[in-house]
Amino acid sequence: MSRGVLVDTTLCTGCRGCQVACKQQNKLPPEETTFFAKAGGYQNPADLSARTYSLVTFNEVENKNGHFDWVFARRQCMHCEEPSCVSACLVGALSKTESGAVVYDETKCIGCRYCLLSCPFGVPSFEWEKTVPFVRKCTFCFTRQAGGDAPATVNGKALDSEQRARHKETQTKPACTKACHTGALMFGEREELLVEARNRIRKNPKRYVNHIYGEKEAGGTSWLYLAGVSFKKLGFPMHLGERSFPSYAKAAKDGVPHVMLGVGAMLGGFYWYNQRCAEVAKKGE
Amino acid sequence: MAASFGRGAMTNHWNDIANSDCIMVIGSNAAENHPISFKYVTRAQQNGAKLISVDPRYTRTSSVSDIYAPLRSGTDIAFIGAMINYALANDLIQREYVITHTNASFLVDSKFKLEDGLFGEVKDGAYTKDTWKFQKGANGVIRKDTTLKNPNCVYQLLKKHFARYDFESASEITGTPVGDLKKVAKTFVGMSHRPEKSGTIMYAMGTTQHTHGTQNIRSYVILQLLMGNIGVAGGGINALRGESNVQGSTDHCILFHIIPGYLKCPTAGNTSLQAYLDKWTPKTKDAKSANWWGNYPKYITSLLKAFWGENAGKSNDFAYDYLPKRDANYSHMALFDAMGRGVIKGMITLGQNPAVGGPSAGQERDALGNLDWLVAVDLWETETAAFWKRPGTNPADINTEVFLLPAAGSMEKEGSVTNSGRWGQWRYRAKPAPGDAKSDLWMLDRIARELKKLYAQGGVFPDPIVNLAWNYGDGDEPDPHLVAKEINGYFTKDCTVKGKSFKKGQLIPSFAYLLDDGGTSSGNWLYCASYTEKGNMMARRTRSNLKDDPIGLNQDWAWCWPVNRRIIYNRASCDAKGVPWAPNKPVIAYDRVAGKWRGDVPDGGWPPLLKPDGTQDPKAKYSFIMRAEGHACLFAPSLKDGPLPEHYEPLESPVANFMSEQQNNPVIKIWRPEEIGDSKEYPVVATTYRVTEHWQAGAMTRNLPWLAELVPDAFVEMSCEFAAEKGIENGDRVAVKTPRATIELYAVVTPRFKPFELKGKTVHQVGLIWHFGYQGIAKGESANMLTPMVGDANTMIPEFKAFLCDVRKIGKGGVA
Ligand code: SF4
Ligand code: SF4
Repeated sequence: MSRGVLVDTTLCTGCRGCQVACKQQNKLPPEETTFFAKAGGYQNPADLSARTYSLVTFNEVENKNGHFDWVFARRQCMHCEEPSCVSACLVGALSKTESGAVVYDETKCIGCRYCLLSCPFGVPSFEWEKTVPFVRKCTFCFTRQAGGDAPATVNGKALDSEQRARHKETQTKPACTKACHTGALMFGEREELLVEARNRIRKNPKRYVNHIYGEKEAGGTSWLYLAGVSFKKLGFPMHLGERSFPSYAKAAKDGVPHVMLGVGAMLGGFYWYNQRCAEVAKKGE
Repeated sequence: MAASFGRGAMTNHWNDIANSDCIMVIGSNAAENHPISFKYVTRAQQNGAKLISVDPRYTRTSSVSDIYAPLRSGTDIAFIGAMINYALANDLIQREYVITHTNASFLVDSKFKLEDGLFGEVKDGAYTKDTWKFQKGANGVIRKDTTLKNPNCVYQLLKKHFARYDFESASEITGTPVGDLKKVAKTFVGMSHRPEKSGTIMYAMGTTQHTHGTQNIRSYVILQLLMGNIGVAGGGINALRGESNVQGSTDHCILFHIIPGYLKCPTAGNTSLQAYLDKWTPKTKDAKSANWWGNYPKYITSLLKAFWGENAGKSNDFAYDYLPKRDANYSHMALFDAMGRGVIKGMITLGQNPAVGGPSAGQERDALGNLDWLVAVDLWETETAAFWKRPGTNPADINTEVFLLPAAGSMEKEGSVTNSGRWGQWRYRAKPAPGDAKSDLWMLDRIARELKKLYAQGGVFPDPIVNLAWNYGDGDEPDPHLVAKEINGYFTKDCTVKGKSFKKGQLIPSFAYLLDDGGTSSGNWLYCASYTEKGNMMARRTRSNLKDDPIGLNQDWAWCWPVNRRIIYNRASCDAKGVPWAPNKPVIAYDRVAGKWRGDVPDGGWPPLLKPDGTQDPKAKYSFIMRAEGHACLFAPSLKDGPLPEHYEPLESPVANFMSEQQNNPVIKIWRPEEIGDSKEYPVVATTYRVTEHWQAGAMTRNLPWLAELVPDAFVEMSCEFAAEKGIENGDRVAVKTPRATIELYAVVTPRFKPFELKGKTVHQVGLIWHFGYQGIAKGESANMLTPMVGDANTMIPEFKAFLCDVRKIGKGGVA
């Protein structure tokens, strides 16, 4: 039972409700932005960061039918089926859960940032500006997903079973998917979403390119995308192959840490690592 | 729309958009500015509906549309005129609907004509209107020709009028490529003129904020009536309201010419209640016309009882004399003009930010400096509240005393909000307001009570204040339930109405029970039935299921005016025998066995015009009960600027009017003729609009870091072609200049804007977002510094959406 999200960019109106809902859910501080010309003035912030786990990109492109189109494609952690970030992590701070989310445990993280380098989608970010930085990325609202039942009453009125079910459904789905009003973000079982995606393409071959991004990319991801233009035009990495990254890396894996863990880096890291443990301990209090 | 149908509101409701077969978004960018509407638009599209986006630039709405057509700002009438002409010329109209429910068959005065762009004589800035009337028979009833052949019938006049708007002529005006125009017409008309199909129009300020804004809407009305799209599921003309409760505030008379429930504000000539009623109660001699406004006496008397309670009685004309009588126009521009002249000395603004939102905002800011005092009630210190310390001003030079009252946000107080679809929805307080912030109800309650105390000591005319019925509880916070109940209304004595007995103090079940003898009070007759002995109907939260409610009326969710009727004019969804045009999505249907309508609350409970055998039913009434003639108006004589929409150029335009000699709407008021831009000096068309990420004048969003982050700066959008001509690149700083002001902002150079070809002349258009000002986290220059002070002939809404400017590069990208 692995869940995912189907992003149908043809339904997205670029309202960015999901982007703000993400900030709200994760209590992320704002970024001080200025007019960002590169993506036509609308997209902001410019990129994913430790303060921005999801970002709607704005793309002025030609669609598959040769017409001008303005396509919005949100980006966030893809929650890979076999995540390279997980296998790159020496201490098991990142893990793929059964429900599909790739989650991060900051109490284990030693700050080596291998995950940043290993991710084929350039997702994880580092809190560079902090004295005790952590790695940050989309959590797939793991805690929401694990949420409990609806309250018995709302505004002093008892909820009936249907209202309770609806309440639970909306409160346990990822915040972005709850915010999305057009149906561009569909949360569900990955297998079912794949069937749905295939159906949409089959029923409407003129609307979509025949490609479910994330079905096979890098061994498959929990987040899946449909579009009416080639994903290349939307800035998605195109040559990831169908094998997961960890499977390539397996053979070389033993070698990697030796290369990266230079002695200097190690020494420099000690002071920092101690600070971090203190910080983590403080948070736990 | 009131002039056409009888009520000025969204005909259908948000959910109903999902029932449409074809949705045309024009004068609106709903995906950006009414994002939630796209929940229903998307649903309709998934059921096979086509979405058409008509806009000067390719927007986020266009990005999900099936057809996009550009048009130059201010040319809707030519655009829609071409669609109407296409429908009439090819007989693609719903003929039976048109004959049954509209005034197509009415015979117009034989001397009525359009000449040189004028519908008759204009004297002292107004039409004499002597030919704008229908022919009447000896019995006083309007003469009709239901064969629609008489050359004086409305249908024939329409045909003649719109024949001039062929695709090619329209395209020269609008700049829309002929192919796009044809595609829109063929799709919309082809899809929606069939009885079983429906098409809807979603519009907003892009339609209304013009010197001919009302006539823009009139062109939609005519198209929709010809298509048989009014009153039906998935049809209608849907005026998308810009704020969550603007429908509610309009219903409760935020506009200067009305008092609650769209009753007319008394004017100086209405010296007694009887004189007022004689002037405003519509009359008809046609027995088949319900003429609902014939109930005027009941509504105004009940309103006066709500205002002055025991102090309003037969002996004092129900305190009618207490009502102020207006003798002038008090619209936004007139008020600021009076402030500028020092006539108005004090102002309270609640949740309004005219220093950003008003036309020629620079002059409005100056006008504020002429006030003795200003009370600004808002969640933040807005540009209006801070006008005295704005950039370039020396606070020492300003004598206005400014009071800033912190207000509670909508989540911090209890009460109702009426959405665009006329649904009154009750909301609860989610959390207490921070600090000293208070609800506006609290503030107004304190002001009123204090005024009562002061006037009790004497004054020029203290009675209206001293005698005001004012009782909203003893708590610190006035009780919003008492307010809602007063709006609904009470019986003020024991009485029997329509065979039912009521006790004094009981809540009135619906406006059908209101009396004109002082036996009832109602703060707003339209809301009578919203809070009854059954409880607060606006607080209902029961969803319906698809099986019992296939068109999603959701009659047990909240409450909808009037009398919980979800789709107004719904009797037009049936033919003359009461059978729905669209059996697959019926709004109502007449049940012959039970002798009553089923489905939505019918717009008038009378039986349909014809019996099943085709004979007239003597008990029947026409379907548009809010019009004295009982029919929807294809021809609308009550407006100031013509019974039919005719294309005029915006006050500032780059071209001559290709349709006639008459360049502009002939009856508009021009406040400052010296400030009108000339197309030689200002060759570029400009318009203003909003983005999803910011809200109106920006106080509520530019102060929120998460939203400021998304759109941190003001910008102006322009085509790649125009930018190349001017040497401007994406992200450059540019200056935009009009005779009113020059402002600096970032340039967005985009293929989403394209130059327009107007009879061989290339005209460029740019668009500015208007949310910005000098306060808040995200600051920028206000686009309204540039906009002209001129308004619609009927409503006086300013022409924000089409004016002339010039654009110049001032700095490389990134340079502030
Ligand atoms: S997208 Fe990157 S960060 Fe997310 S799971 Fe895959 S490898 Fe890890
Ligand atoms: S909330 Fe939905 S429609 Fe809005 S930007 Fe996100 S994915 Fe697109």
